[in-house]
Amino acid sequence: MKRLGLRARVTAVFALGALALSTALSSVAYQITRQNLLTERERTLVRSAYFDAVIVREGLRAENPAISEVLRGLDTGETRRPVLRREGQWFSRSADTGITDSIPVALQRLVSEGTPGTQRVDLDGEPAFVVGVPLDEVDTGFYEVTTLAELERTFNVLATVLGVAALGTTLAGAALGVYASRRVLEPLTGVARAADEIATGDISARVARDTDPDLDRLAVAFNSMVDAVQAKADADRRFAGDVSHELRSPLQTLSAATSVLARRRDSLEPRTAAAVDLLTEEVTRFEQLVSDLLVLSRSDLPAERRPTDVVGLVRGIARQRGLTEEQIEVTGDGSRPEVDQRRFEQILVNLLDNADRHGGGAVRVGICTDPVLVRLEVDDEGPGVPPDERELVFDRFARGRAASARGGTDGTGLGLALVKQHALAHRGSVQIADRPGGGARFVVELPAREGS
Amino acid sequence: MARLLIVEDDDRIRLSLKMALEDEGYTVKDVPTAEEGLADHAANPADLVLVDLMLPGMDGFDCIRSLRKLGDVPIVVVSARDDTHDVVAALEAGADDYVVKPVAVKELSARLRALKRRARGSGGDAPKTLRFGEIELRPEAGEVQLGEDPVHLTRTEFRLLCELADQQGRVLSRQQLLDRVWGYEVFGDDRLVDVHVGRLRRKIERDPANPKHLLTVRGLGYKLQA
Repeated sequence: MKRLGLRARVTAVFALGALALSTALSSVAYQITRQNLLTERERTLVRSAYFDAVIVREGLRAENPAISEVLRGLDTGETRRPVLRREGQWFSRSADTGITDSIPVALQRLVSEGTPGTQRVDLDGEPAFVVGVPLDEVDTGFYEVTTLAELERTFNVLATVLGVAALGTTLAGAALGVYASRRVLEPLTGVARAADEIATGDISARVARDTDPDLDRLAVAFNSMVDAVQAKADADRRFAGDVSHELRSPLQTLSAATSVLARRRDSLEPRTAAAVDLLTEEVTRFEQLVSDLLVLSRSDLPAERRPTDVVGLVRGIARQRGLTEEQIEVTGDGSRPEVDQRRFEQILVNLLDNADRHGGGAVRVGICTDPVLVRLEVDDEGPGVPPDERELVFDRFARGRAASARGGTDGTGLGLALVKQHALAHRGSVQIADRPGGGARFVVELPAREGS
Repeated sequence: MARLLIVEDDDRIRLSLKMALEDEGYTVKDVPTAEEGLADHAANPADLVLVDLMLPGMDGFDCIRSLRKLGDVPIVVVSARDDTHDVVAALEAGADDYVVKPVAVKELSARLRALKRRARGSGGDAPKTLRFGEIELRPEAGEVQLGEDPVHLTRTEFRLLCELADQQGRVLSRQQLLDRVWGYEVFGDDRLVDVHVGRLRRKIERDPANPKHLLTVRGLGYKLQA
């Protein structure tokens, strides 16, 4: 099961807390209120029953009293229903027949023994209250049965109201949880946004300072971490740059001196000539390596975007590299995207170099421009790149397993790393796909404008 | 045989370049300081000059400025520094081209050939005069006038003006200009064009900041109009 997010959990805790608290408060309030109302009501009923009992006793003192008449003469309101038990026989008002069953035997016994009592009973499924008063002088038990249905309805209303209140409180708690977690996590959103920007190449992204000291500590810590990382990266880059730079002067000598040797190659004995060839080849590669390292050491500077005729550029370079017109595929609206021309050139040239080295040469170059995106494709008919190597080949000094197997160790090992860096500097991407019909297809996509 | 002057303080680079360029057919004079280079050029003018930027004593930028005062000899900077600041400063000082070490001899000699070809002038048909407002251009005579005043242009500036005049009113992209003026088929440096256009504007426009004739067409390139 997926673990709930922090915000969901905070919200849930707030909601559950509010639910527990409001439920507890509601039930206590309900219990107390119910108890008080019942007690009050019962006390009233007992008092009324005694009052009525006095009247009944007076009525029974007459000779051959009409018991029903006596009972009818009572002012019992609508709810109290008087009955009388005399010499084992029940008397009641005609409207009140059938309620005697609800008077418990235990209470009857108590009353007949001369002790008044009360009891809560069930009357036709409704709660009722019975008060029993012994009328000793006339050897009679007087009872009043009162249904408490109305009171029960009041309790139900009360319970409903309290339940709704508890539910509302729970919802309010959840809302508070949402708000609180959002408020607390807001600075984290800022940190996440900054981290995203840094990950996509904008190393200058920082988190805004917060006025809250607790949150400010997070912002400060994050920013100083990024500063430290950036300083380290800068130092590494400077070192690579410095080293490459220092290599330039000796390389110039090597390059010029080698060309003097190479010019005389034909007059050298074969062994020496072979050595000169090796020297020439390696010096050329060394030059390329140093130049690539230098470019790489500054490649995470922002791209210098300018409206560029990329289609013309692609045509020029592709033709120069020996591709035919049929192999150059131009689509899109021919708009002029804003790209860094040098970087774009290098992307194409490095992809063509890569196709030469590992794919038997490029067989198609595709360029598609529209107002939003530039898409450059370079196809070769080589063995392709296995899916698990498609990320790795863009690492510095990475050379594909297939390439090593073929003994392809020429090149600097930086070409594709530079392609990736240049694409990232434009906030674009580079990907490897399978070319329909076999081979690899390198696809570079760059946004046509800053921020598009 | 073209006479080439190399101003470079690193003995090994100087010697190896001298040998390699002699192989390419140049008569090479090599000196380790700007001062010696200027003295040599004054005494015995070279056809082409290679200059390093970091030199003991007078630096490469001053050397270029001083050479410019003496004449319009094509100057190529050969430097290990390639940040925009240095490139632009060297071009502003008057250099015609800029290559970064290590440069292959083949490439360097291609650059020198392009400058030499240009230095000989474009040649052409009947003498003619082209007018762009107050600007008067006579390609064959190698003369430019702004109103009544003769304007002195370096050969690269003159060649650039001629190429733009040739296509008058039409836009030439930086790449096209690099190809036609500097002989870069691809991978030329846009800054070469931009700095030279700036230098040209200061000489042929009354108000270089608001040019009326040599115009920038954003995203496309430059054009010259009447």
